[in-house]
Amino acid sequence: MAALAEQQDRFAKMGAELITVSTDTEFVHLAWKRDEKELADVKYAMGADPTGNLSRLFGVYDENTGLALRGAFIISPEGVLFNSEVNFYNMGRNIDELMRKFKANLYLSRKAKEGSDEGCPSKWKDEGDKTLRPGPEMVGRVHEALQD
Amino acid sequence: MSEEITQVKIGQPVPDFELAVYEPENHGFGKRSLADIKKEGKWTILFFYPADFTFV
Repeated sequence: MAALAEQQDRFAKMGAELITVSTDTEFVHLAWKRDEKELADVKYAMGADPTGNLSRLFGVYDENTGLALRGAFIISPEGVLFNSEVNFYNMGRNIDELMRKFKANLYLSRKAKEGSDEGCPSKWKDEGDKTLRPGPEMVGRVHEALQD
Repeated sequence: MSEEITQVKIGQPVPDFELAVYEPENHGFGKRSLADIKKEGKWTILFFYPADFTFV
């Protein structure tokens, strides 16, 4: 959560509404934010899902514990779910990777509006990095295309 | 739960939702809905975690 707070201004500037969610209430969120020094810089909204229904919608609700697994989801301004990452209780998420995926979404949605169907390969990190465009010349020649 | 909740899939539209939030910036409580965020033309990033007062 502190790692997320470190990049919250970048996410906001790039047009993302960041909301953290647990099955705690908003009142507990307040108390935790007030007590925990790690959360001192948090600006993002802390969402309450005491019924677990939002967690169920995203498939992260653990019926045995009543808690949500560590899931991160990116939804476009049109309301389409583009990415999901879910980790078990004992592993944190890499916020740099979340930022990379968000940046790739922004890039791809802009390109799609320009009529381009290019894609971001696994090593894509930022604008200017190699992208791939599906087509007959790519069939069996992805290796060569990545070298260009 | 009165009805089954169907898990949203990648590439599919997310049904509208609303949730109560604590807003640290103005030290108050509020609401966030997907519909409102979409109306502002913004992306939504949801970040689930197990519980307050634990390591996250």
